Amino acid sequence: MEKENKKISRKRQRRNFLNRLQGLDWVIFAMLLVYAILIIYPFYNAFLISISPEHVYLETPILLWPKEVTFDNYRAVFTNKTLWSGFGVTMFLLLFGTAYQLFFTVITGYALSRNKWIGKGFLMNMILVTMFFGGGLIPYYFLIKNLGLYNTIWVMVIPGAIDTYNMLLMRNYFASLPADLEESAKIDGANDIQIFVKVYLPMALPMLATVGLFFAVGNWNSWYNGMLFIEKANLKPLQLILRELIATSSSQIESPIGVTDVYSEGLQMACIFFTIVPMMSFYPFVQKFFVKGLVVGAIKG
Amino acid sequence: MNKVLIAKRNKTTYNFKKKVNHSKYLILMGIPAVVFYFIFNYIPMYGILIAFKDYYPKKGIMGSPWNNFANFKTIFSNPEFYTVLRNTIIIGFFKIIISFVAAILVALLLNEIRMRIFKKTVQTIVTFPHFLSWVVIGGFVANLFSRTGAINNLVNLAGHDRIEFMSNGKFFIALIFTSDVWKEAGWSSIIYLATMAGISPELYEAADIDGATRLQKIGHITLPAIKPTAVLLLILSVGGILSAGFDQIINLYNPLVYNVSDILDTYIYRQTFRSGMPAGQGAAIGLFKSVVSFILVLIVDRIAKLCGERGII
Repeated sequence: MEKENKKISRKRQRRNFLNRLQGLDWVIFAMLLVYAILIIYPFYNAFLISISPEHVYLETPILLWPKEVTFDNYRAVFTNKTLWSGFGVTMFLLLFGTAYQLFFTVITGYALSRNKWIGKGFLMNMILVTMFFGGGLIPYYFLIKNLGLYNTIWVMVIPGAIDTYNMLLMRNYFASLPADLEESAKIDGANDIQIFVKVYLPMALPMLATVGLFFAVGNWNSWYNGMLFIEKANLKPLQLILRELIATSSSQIESPIGVTDVYSEGLQMACIFFTIVPMMSFYPFVQKFFVKGLVVGAIKG
Repeated sequence: MNKVLIAKRNKTTYNFKKKVNHSKYLILMGIPAVVFYFIFNYIPMYGILIAFKDYYPKKGIMGSPWNNFANFKTIFSNPEFYTVLRNTIIIGFFKIIISFVAAILVALLLNEIRMRIFKKTVQTIVTFPHFLSWVVIGGFVANLFSRTGAINNLVNLAGHDRIEFMSNGKFFIALIFTSDVWKEAGWSSIIYLATMAGISPELYEAADIDGATRLQKIGHITLPAIKPTAVLLLILSVGGILSAGFDQIINLYNPLVYNVSDILDTYIYRQTFRSGMPAGQGAAIGLFKSVVSFILVLIVDRIAKLCGERGII
């Protein structure tokens, strides 16, 4: 009986809610709907091209639904050695690079979140200066050359050890955790490393996930350092190969990934989809971590 | 007297050692940061000297001869530099304004929508492009807006002549702003949305009792509430005006639109690495950019403090 009542009242609530929606609500709804469609359309269009054969692409002014499905474009992507090599490099950056960045960024953030220690002020000032002033591209380029990092896979990993923004995010998070835990652990005879690993790190896991995800996305999308410092074809990351693929399609230069039997737009779009599908499938589940990082960072930083 | 001094000094060294010993593990954790920032941020600052020299990589920075500001004289007397500077300021400035307005607009729309599931879905969709690289978006843009792309096919079906989006300067600039809004507006709106979520509902209830309309509530409650955040974010972005978006432009532009879309960063990159401009001149433009940006940050910080905001330095 009670259940029945609840059901009725919920129904009534729903009806009330629908009645309360005024004209403005529908305007807002329509605007957001159009906005969302404008965001989705390029993805949808790219997807349709990636599964269409060349003659359909050329004959149809605007593809709105698949007319003829082919997987030739994807077959060309998945059987291409250059793209697989790029994928391998990117996977290395994603796995090793992310762990490496996370390690150095988190220990720095933790150290700077603790109370006074010799050198803390020095390090903090050293970092702050770099946020407002830098040497620029040319001196950096020659530094990389002199360090012998040019044309090695390490150029895409080693310099990025500490990202200032994410480091400060970690620091603020550690600083917001209760400080008396440190005191009591000290009384029990724990040293700073033990306190960090056993007390604070487990409490910071959500923030660790946030920062780790930011690094992972950055590594997955990495092309800039590759463009500047990598000439060897087998060390180029996926996004860099994709970039070259897109840049050369319009001109007559030979494709950077060698000869393929499919048309360039189809190949490009299949390749683009290959790089964004992993992100698209994870994003809805990890969105909250990214949002958290942004909101926490903006309020405290 | 002497003895007292010595005793005092001994005590300070003792205290220092004690302090170091006390926090040795924290110091250990901080050392990598000192090393990394020194190598990758401070050595390039020393490398700025290249801007004042005829730089020969083989001779090194110290071994290369000074050239009495020749690099600066060359770049400042090159009309191309002023075109690039003008492009940078125009693109940087309007990008700040447009993305600022777009983000607040999106936040307002999402804040006002009352259908929860719809709101969540839209938010997930519109924040996603932030995580794409400009390489991917460059691919989308090149495909959609090319002469035979879907947009031009639509234009053609509507009975117009095809538009040269990628080679007509005006259209291309518009494309730069549009693609930037497409990528970032949803993501940037989150911060305003978070601020709006913090507004006390009592304010809206009181306004309801006074018979305020929805637009009045937005104008008198929501917008004033996000003003501090908005002002802070706006002035913060002014410091980066000369950066104007290297990643975006390098992935979108082509030689036909260099005259309107080349910015300082792309100019340095292309001239130095593709057209053989002496490294000293590239470094000089880079130094110019760093110094002007730094001055802008100082000015903006002062303005922020005058406005009663927290400031950034």
